Amino acid sequence: MKDVAFGQYFPSNSVIHKMNPAIKLLLAIAFIVAVFLVRAFHFLGFGVCFAFLISVTIIAKIPFSKMLKSIKAILFFIIFSAVIQIFFNKKGTPLWENGFITDVALLNAGYIIVRITLVVLGASLLTFTTSPVELADGIEVLLTPLKLVKFPVHEFALIMSIALRFIPTLLDETDRIIKAQKARGADFESGNVFKRIKALVPVLIPLLISSFRRADELADAMDARCYAGSKNRTRYKKLEVAFKDVFAIIVMAGLITAVVFLNKFNLIPYLAAVV
Amino acid sequence: MQVVVKNLNYTYSKNSKSVAVKALKGINLTIEEGEFFGIIGETGSGKSTFIQHLNGLIKTTKEDCECLKIGEFDLTEKKCNYKKLRSKVGMVFQYPEYQLFAETVEADVMFGLKNCKPEMTEEEKSSAVKKALELVGLNYYEIKDKSPFELSGGQKRRVAIAGVLVLEPEVLILDEPAAGLDPKGKRELLKLLKEIHGKTVKTTVIVSHDMNLIMEECDKVALFHKGNVAKVDAPENIFKDKELVSLCGLKFPLTASLYHALKEKGVSLKTNLKVENFIKAVTEYYKGEQR
Repeated sequence: MKDVAFGQYFPSNSVIHKMNPAIKLLLAIAFIVAVFLVRAFHFLGFGVCFAFLISVTIIAKIPFSKMLKSIKAILFFIIFSAVIQIFFNKKGTPLWENGFITDVALLNAGYIIVRITLVVLGASLLTFTTSPVELADGIEVLLTPLKLVKFPVHEFALIMSIALRFIPTLLDETDRIIKAQKARGADFESGNVFKRIKALVPVLIPLLISSFRRADELADAMDARCYAGSKNRTRYKKLEVAFKDVFAIIVMAGLITAVVFLNKFNLIPYLAAVV
Repeated sequence: MQVVVKNLNYTYSKNSKSVAVKALKGINLTIEEGEFFGIIGETGSGKSTFIQHLNGLIKTTKEDCECLKIGEFDLTEKKCNYKKLRSKVGMVFQYPEYQLFAETVEADVMFGLKNCKPEMTEEEKSSAVKKALELVGLNYYEIKDKSPFELSGGQKRRVAIAGVLVLEPEVLILDEPAAGLDPKGKRELLKLLKEIHGKTVKTTVIVSHDMNLIMEECDKVALFHKGNVAKVDAPENIFKDKELVSLCGLKFPLTASLYHALKEKGVSLKTNLKVENFIKAVTEYYKGEQR
């Protein structure tokens, strides 16, 4: 249980790691938008996106093996979408006489694979370089405008960071309870799905109870320190916009412009006409 | 059942070299049937990892261990029957009350029986539960239909221990059984463990940071240090070895601290370190002085 890696923060002291998390979050969204802006069969845009990803990975000192692992996690999903495309897309001409696979289907599958891969890699790059706590801070900043409609932004961010903080604790606890029940002969490994789900009851109930206990204790501890929510609270870590953040925004703007520009150059005009 | 451990090694996160931690480095230990055995050591010395091996919660292989035998069970074998083993070797974890889950005390105590001895009839199970609850000093009829969550802390712990004892283990392993109890609850729990020891439970293994408890109750003690067994001996012999105990980062039981303090002043007592004997030796010594 301890080997479950949550979040995938990869600590290092690169420029990317030190960027303002709110801006990083926005830029990650912008990158995903850029990927989706690339029109079908205009693969030059993807090339630019890939080049961008690879250079950021190098600057952030993230090992490529780590990046590959994050794709591995959704490999099934990628293959599934591609297979669906290959077998059910009937546009274009069949690859062989009366064949059921068309050229458009094949290219479309490739298009989808590249798209999903790019999106996942972009998102992983964000989580690799931003710790969960920083991410929660970033989300808080981005949600600040919602304060106008009386949305409790600070509380929302607090809930998020507490949840993140307690995940490892709960994993430890789960491990302990599983062992205690195993020592009483509980069997989590055999039987069909329903049996296994039922076998989890003796783990889930103690876990739930101890979560309530912890929540109570935490609330008391916060009360004892006179915690009173968002009003007039200062921050330990001030989020500032530095030169590197501005520079990153300019680069991203450049990337999006490039993608839009490259959309004009169709490498396979015949197919574009078919679609 | 005799517990024999030869050259047991264990490494956490073995597969990723950067975070791998060697927790056990060649443990050799024999626990004879009938012993009230203590295990002491600093936090992180490998005690918990070690006891988890004893009922197969951490599985070992022939590669990591020369020999790990409990009675007829060979835990280095892949086809070891863990269910059977776990009914013979009971394990009570730290704060066992956190494992309670069922709607009634009876159902919770019965959990182990349902898993390990499904062939028993309902009546047999109920009478086994009754026996276990009475063994831990609780009134079966009063408590069986209560929810385990409405009991007091001490009662919860007893119910949890009953949930292990119900399988009638021959070896009982307890990790800090008295942690978090008040002095009275602590005394009662120990009295109880002493009573159970010698009935169905033949061998008791206690892991504890409470040196007074270890000194008073145990026949033999293993001192763990950084994944090794530094010494196995009677408790007084261990605590009389001042350098070793300090080196291993442990405290002394009260009698041992007095013993060492007196020794520094030139008073060398010939006694073991159990409170009763120690007081006797001290009073005799001072009577001799006054004469």
